[in-house]
Amino acid sequence: MKISLLGIFKIFCLIGIQLLGGGYVILPLLKKYLVEERNWLSENELIDYFAMSQCIPGIIAGNISVCCGYKLRKIWGALMAILGIITPSFIAIIIIANIINSILNCEIIQNAFWGIRISVIVLVLITVRDMWNNSVNSGFTYFIYFVSLGLLLLLPVSPALIIIISAVSALLYSKFRGRDNA
Amino acid sequence: MLKLYFLLFYEFFKIGIFAVGGGYAALPFLYYIQEKYNWFSLDELTNMIAVSNVTPGPIGINMATYTGYTTLGIIGSVISTAAVVSVPFIIAVIFMKLLSKYKSCNFINDIFNGLRPASCALLTSIAIKLIYTTLSEQNSTVHFPLKFDNLAIILFIILIIPFSFMRKNPLLVILFGAIGGIILKPLF
Repeated sequence: MKISLLGIFKIFCLIGIQLLGGGYVILPLLKKYLVEERNWLSENELIDYFAMSQCIPGIIAGNISVCCGYKLRKIWGALMAILGIITPSFIAIIIIANIINSILNCEIIQNAFWGIRISVIVLVLITVRDMWNNSVNSGFTYFIYFVSLGLLLLLPVSPALIIIISAVSALLYSKFRGRDNA
Repeated sequence: MLKLYFLLFYEFFKIGIFAVGGGYAALPFLYYIQEKYNWFSLDELTNMIAVSNVTPGPIGINMATYTGYTTLGIIGSVISTAAVVSVPFIIAVIFMKLLSKYKSCNFINDIFNGLRPASCALLTSIAIKLIYTTLSEQNSTVHFPLKFDNLAIILFIILIIPFSFMRKNPLLVILFGAIGGIILKPLF
């Protein structure tokens, strides 16, 4: 039986509504709705797509939705999946953007946001810790990390430049290392 | 005006390509946009990050929508959101087409081996910048002697100690920060 495009859109909307606080939350949701309730995908496929989404630039939750949607109904399925995942947050953000300035006039809210700004630093630091644990684990990765950080702190370089330079050096490094092994 | 739309698309398109490793990887790019174009203030950006954490949807996409909306209204939000997802969308579709042929992606893994630490370094530099601008009473340029906002440092220490031992839980961190702000700020 062919899965309807509208059905794909609806399911991803439903997942988008429940997606609070970051990309990794999407995995259990996809498992529940696509694997367990509907049997549209197998669990192994989902794990494959998750690994793949991390190899693609961009937002993990968006990437994995595109992969699942593509599996269900090719390109149109992928389009429905990404639209579905975006729509709830898009609407929520537009509403909040409209009311935030009037809310911020209230003193209690101002104090709360003052505290939340400090929370954001804590969140960024925790993310740095997690990224460090997942990525900085060899001589080469230490080198990339500290050279990038040094450049960023001392010169006005754009983030995109840092990413390009590190991608090129990683590619060269793997080429040379590969030749040594062979 | 048309140029502004184009710039908005271009900057968020870059985030779509270069932000590696989850929603927070978009932060260094947003700070870069703030400094370069001044479309929004530093405080607005930090509020925006807080709001993105407590609304549904991927944080990176939320921030694109919010920035686009505050800069150029509803059309701006559509442009920036589309820009940020377009490249990953195309790449993901190509990957899916090739998946049956190539099961593993060694070449991509090699590149990511260098991208992830660079992305981590980008976020570290943002953390340093945030610590400086939020915990001191100055803006982004460094002036000596450093003047620190003692109250902000107290709340920072209260928050960082328990949460550095825990798994990342954005909602809880934001909730405690908000409560801390409401309680501490009127006391001093």
